[in-house]
Amino acid sequence: MTVTVYLPLLLPVLVALAARRLTDRARPRAAVLGLVAASVLTAATSVWSLLLLVLTLFDDLPAMKALNIRSGMHLPEPVPDWVAITASVVLAACLINLAHDVHHRRSTARRLRNAGPAAGGVVVADWSEPLAVAVPGRPGQVLLTTGMLKVLDADERRAVLAHERAHLTHRHHVAVLLASAAASVNPLLRPARDAVTYLVERWADEEAATGLGNRDLVARAVARAALATADFKTPAPALGVHGGVIVRRVKALHRPAPSEARWQLALPAAAVIACLILAANATLDFVDVLNAWLIR
Amino acid sequence: MNDEEAGRRRARGELESEVMAALWAAGEPLTPAGVQAALGAGLAYNTVQTILIRLLEKDLVRRGPADRGRGHAYWPAQDAATLTATRMRAALDERPDRQAVLQQFAAGLQDDDVETLRALLAERES
Repeated sequence: MTVTVYLPLLLPVLVALAARRLTDRARPRAAVLGLVAASVLTAATSVWSLLLLVLTLFDDLPAMKALNIRSGMHLPEPVPDWVAITASVVLAACLINLAHDVHHRRSTARRLRNAGPAAGGVVVADWSEPLAVAVPGRPGQVLLTTGMLKVLDADERRAVLAHERAHLTHRHHVAVLLASAAASVNPLLRPARDAVTYLVERWADEEAATGLGNRDLVARAVARAALATADFKTPAPALGVHGGVIVRRVKALHRPAPSEARWQLALPAAAVIACLILAANATLDFVDVLNAWLIR
Repeated sequence: MNDEEAGRRRARGELESEVMAALWAAGEPLTPAGVQAALGAGLAYNTVQTILIRLLEKDLVRRGPADRGRGHAYWPAQDAATLTATRMRAALDERPDRQAVLQQFAAGLQDDDVETLRALLAERES
């Protein structure tokens, strides 16, 4: 058990770096899929590393302790106990965090899904605050307020609907959920989670623009809807993508659609491969320690 | 692509939601012809009529005699939407971080974005 067990806990930094580079450069779809996969896999190796550290407490079990004393042999202690104990606390905190997050998302979605009757997958709420929300489920629904409908013209309303339907069709809530789950396991993945949150909006924008055959129209709908919300005091966004998410989306729509560039996914892929190799290495080390304990 | 094709290509459900949205946006009762004009997408009059009847059956719209001429005018059912708003507000007010758990359109505007956005809109409209 050497440095290989600790490194997977730090390597998500590479995924965060990749998130920064991919935002606004790669195609949103490719970037989302790449970042989510990299986040989940590196988070999984983080959990595995923590678990290996916790398992090194095995030699402190009463039975093992007795064996140790009776045989007069010294069991190898690959990791100081305080590290292992810290790891178990961190691991428990991660899992509680994760359960909490999943529970909140699901209960909010469930309540919103039962908010009212749908026409063509759209539920209208008579509320002056301009809101448009994609509520996942089977089937998913788009929840619109009259405040939103009244600030847009017919074409812009179509753009908003196309955008929200793209969220539902491509199950963007799953991507965001996985990225947040990964970030709640390893905080180094938070920039990746924020990038994914932003990129699913871009993905839906691009999809709406393609469907309606008009990038300017979608840009206008985003801008006008956002300006309408400016008059309402909504809770401050907890997004890490700073510097005006809306402005960035509008500007991206004013440019041509980004082109595919596979090499941009090389960095997250490298992080994943490195994590997997290190995790495998640490596992082999742990098996050696286990052998020493059990066979002696 | 002509208008007829555009109309046919859109799924039934999408049309229902667009008609519903148009009725809410109008803020006054609309005749089928009025809905047709509001949608501005070259839908056949009969299609609009069919959708309105369907929405009526779902209890999502109400209708009454039109002000001028014959036929009916339609408006959205207020009670359902008010109830929806109450439930929606209750679900959202519990969340201090609603943007973190929802896919919300055009959320997260920052104070200094307002001017930039207005400029971007003006630039394209001129």
